[in-house]
Amino acid sequence: MTRKIIPFVFALLLLGASQAFAHTPLCSCWDNGDGTVTCEGGFSDGSSAAGVGISILDAAEAVLESGKMSETSEFTFKKPAGEYSVKFDAGEGHRIVIPGSQIH
Amino acid sequence: MTTKSRLAALAGQPNCGKSTVFNMLTGAHQHVANYPGVTVEKKSGHFSVAGVRVDLVDLPGTYSLTSYSLEERVARDFLLDEKPDVCVNVADVSTLRRSLSLTLQIMEMDLPVVLALNMMDKARKEGVEIDLRILEERLGIRVVPLAAAKGEGKGELMEAIQEQVSIHRHPRQVDYGPLESKIHVLEDWMRDQGTTSSLPLRWLRIKLLEGDAFALEHARGKIAQGEKLADMALRLGKEFEQEHGESVSRHLATCRYALADEIVSSCQKHSFSSRGLTNKIDAVVCHKLLGPVILVGVIFLLYQLSIVQGYNLTNYTWPILAKFKELCGLALPAAGFVDDPMVRALGLWVVDSVNALLNYIPIFLILFTLIAILEDSGYMPRMAFILDRLLQRFGLHGQATLPLVLGGVYVGGCAVPAVMSTKAVPDHRARLATILIIPMLNCLAKVPLYILLIGAYFAQHQALAMFFISTISLLMALPVAKLLTLTVLKKQESAPFIMEMPDYHLPTIGGVLRPALQKVWLFVKKITSIVAAVAVIVFALLRFPGIGAEAMREIEARGDHAQNDFLQIVDTSPLQGRFQLEEIPDLLEFEAAYKQAKIRATSDQDAVLVDKRFSERNAAYLAMVKGQPAEEYGKVSRGLRSLLRERKLIRMEIQKARIDSSFLGRIGQAMEPVTQWAGFTWRINVALLSALAAKENTVATLGSLYQQDADASGSDLSASMKETESGFTSLHALALMLFMVLYPPCLATLITIKLQSGSWGYMLLSLGGQITLGIGVAVLVFTGGSLLDLTGLEAMIAFYCLAVALTVAAAMIPNPPLEPDPGHS
Repeated sequence: MTRKIIPFVFALLLLGASQAFAHTPLCSCWDNGDGTVTCEGGFSDGSSAAGVGISILDAAEAVLESGKMSETSEFTFKKPAGEYSVKFDAGEGHRIVIPGSQIH
Repeated sequence: MTTKSRLAALAGQPNCGKSTVFNMLTGAHQHVANYPGVTVEKKSGHFSVAGVRVDLVDLPGTYSLTSYSLEERVARDFLLDEKPDVCVNVADVSTLRRSLSLTLQIMEMDLPVVLALNMMDKARKEGVEIDLRILEERLGIRVVPLAAAKGEGKGELMEAIQEQVSIHRHPRQVDYGPLESKIHVLEDWMRDQGTTSSLPLRWLRIKLLEGDAFALEHARGKIAQGEKLADMALRLGKEFEQEHGESVSRHLATCRYALADEIVSSCQKHSFSSRGLTNKIDAVVCHKLLGPVILVGVIFLLYQLSIVQGYNLTNYTWPILAKFKELCGLALPAAGFVDDPMVRALGLWVVDSVNALLNYIPIFLILFTLIAILEDSGYMPRMAFILDRLLQRFGLHGQATLPLVLGGVYVGGCAVPAVMSTKAVPDHRARLATILIIPMLNCLAKVPLYILLIGAYFAQHQALAMFFISTISLLMALPVAKLLTLTVLKKQESAPFIMEMPDYHLPTIGGVLRPALQKVWLFVKKITSIVAAVAVIVFALLRFPGIGAEAMREIEARGDHAQNDFLQIVDTSPLQGRFQLEEIPDLLEFEAAYKQAKIRATSDQDAVLVDKRFSERNAAYLAMVKGQPAEEYGKVSRGLRSLLRERKLIRMEIQKARIDSSFLGRIGQAMEPVTQWAGFTWRINVALLSALAAKENTVATLGSLYQQDADASGSDLSASMKETESGFTSLHALALMLFMVLYPPCLATLITIKLQSGSWGYMLLSLGGQITLGIGVAVLVFTGGSLLDLTGLEAMIAFYCLAVALTVAAAMIPNPPLEPDPGHS
């Protein structure tokens, strides 16, 4: 249970040519056009978002599906029928919620 | 028609409204820089009067012109070295007695002086009358009444400045009574010897008698027979002290004050009543119990607005920086499939480094604005007053409260804005001590590692462990501040603290926004050059000597293999034979652009338009990317995704291999004999070293280091750490966490430290000192804990008690004496 709260688990990307310091969380999603949506995460300093928790919420904010960003910082899910939102959760001060209405 | 410009200096005591006068005179023609070699801000501007351009330099606000503090020395040196055509001395009319002692000192430097008597509106309101004619006559200089906040007196002041440039009056000399005979002895001797100096002579003699380090150095170095002169002056000064039982400098101050008092008495009717509203507010704000409560409220608000809301703002500003990087990416040589050309890698690394700091701009803008409001309103000195006694015990200063809070006293903060805000600390020694301990506080970026380790090793005591880690940083930082004050910073100057409570006033928009914008602009200008330099060095440390040619060939072969696999898949589609290997980079670029466009699409119609646009660009590529129609291109699209995935993985592997074999990686390995006593393997060392670029990386790096041994899925990092590092106990975890608390600041912080302390030395001290301390503490906890056979939790409690004891002990040790003058100038 406790391990669920651990962010950045499986974080992979080594400090490389794109690593720097400030850390605004980034998450963008797009509709694949085949009934699925893919989200890609990361941080403004180039850090990988691998292992960061991500959940799909319905209109009442109940969790429909949850998982972790893959080792390449991606997460693909089946587009829910009704209203939904995507929550990218990298811990305090590093959360992003994207309403489904903004994903095209 | 004269084209020659004149130089004017603006001097005055703190809170006399000098900045308002400066803004009134120069308007938008302003420029901010630092005085050479020091961190004191130098504001300059210009205006024209009667066809003459006047360049105005705003000197730091000082109570006097001795060489007690850095600000005083900067102001004095400017007046002596630059010899301005006129010095405008701004004085608050309600504190005229005290202000005049500065005026008399400036006059002593043999400069044409205009006394700008500010806040005359307040005087009128309180029925205080000043006879300006008598004041002018007694001082022998021009006096101009002002109400700068209302813009009154601007024209007259400009005229007076212009006039003073051409007419030199005969300013009043202070009669120093019994000291005059000693001054004459020096004067006679100098005349007999025919020695002269570039400095004002009477001023020089007085300063020599006072034993002023700068004057003595000048005499010994730049005056013929100066050695003799200096010795004689020192002897005479001692003589005076014995004869009159007071030091020369004290005598000088007394004489000036007596004269100022006499002058004010002769020209001022009525005196100022007690400060009504200000006193009422102070009764609440500086109240014994309410004061601290209000202070906590103000600080909480400040933290919330600048750090928390500022971070939120970066969500909107980051895309601009990202766009900038994108443009740079286009200008640099194109990316390869598995590896990028060196120029591209270096270029993007530098851009990233600069971007990362620019990302702080929203935070700074809010922070500097709020600080300006606190300063302008008069609350800042009260804040310092409330906490000063406590912080003084650790060699810090009341004004260090704000930087410490921003740095993360309890919850996560950020060292960069915290170090930037130490500007407000007026005492040089305390400012340096604050700058050096800020990086030991819990910045937001350290938190993920704590959570990781606590989740894995202190799962049963999470709340306790979180409390421990949140408070231990301050408990270690305070004794360190004291230690620094007693050792390294002992000789740094520390001025006697004059705390003045100015009247409260409503901040003006100009008075708040202008300094905030100026500071941000100064920050931007400076970091670009410093960051570029540091980034290049770190880049080299991480990149060289690099992966062997053999290993690189292997990796490249893997890349080729992946591309060929993809081509084979394409050949099963309608594009058979029409898509070549050389087109893959184009396709990848197309895919990236398409993805970006989709992300930016704001509506479904927009998304359709994007599809249409990309279809026009290359219908075949779009079909491959989208996998539509599915029966023809579905396989290709899936193949493309696995190609992209493989590419990412290969790139990560290259980076990892590169770091392991880099100089930094080798240092990590070389350090193992020492760090083993702290329980760190070389892999942890490499992770910690590379985290220097940004602390978040530690978790990422640890992740990649341990990932190789972990399950492909299912398990997570803390589990894999537990499995692979057999014998990695909670004691190891505690040592690692404590090291992280003390761990050197990230690069951004280091650069900010260089900027604020004005010295690479302090930057390196911060880096080296914290590494040493961190390893020391980790070794103590790990080796000590192992010997005593303690569990992580027991060691945690024991260490906490030790830290509390150290903090109390540090508070008890007296501070070193004040260091008025470091003995050089």
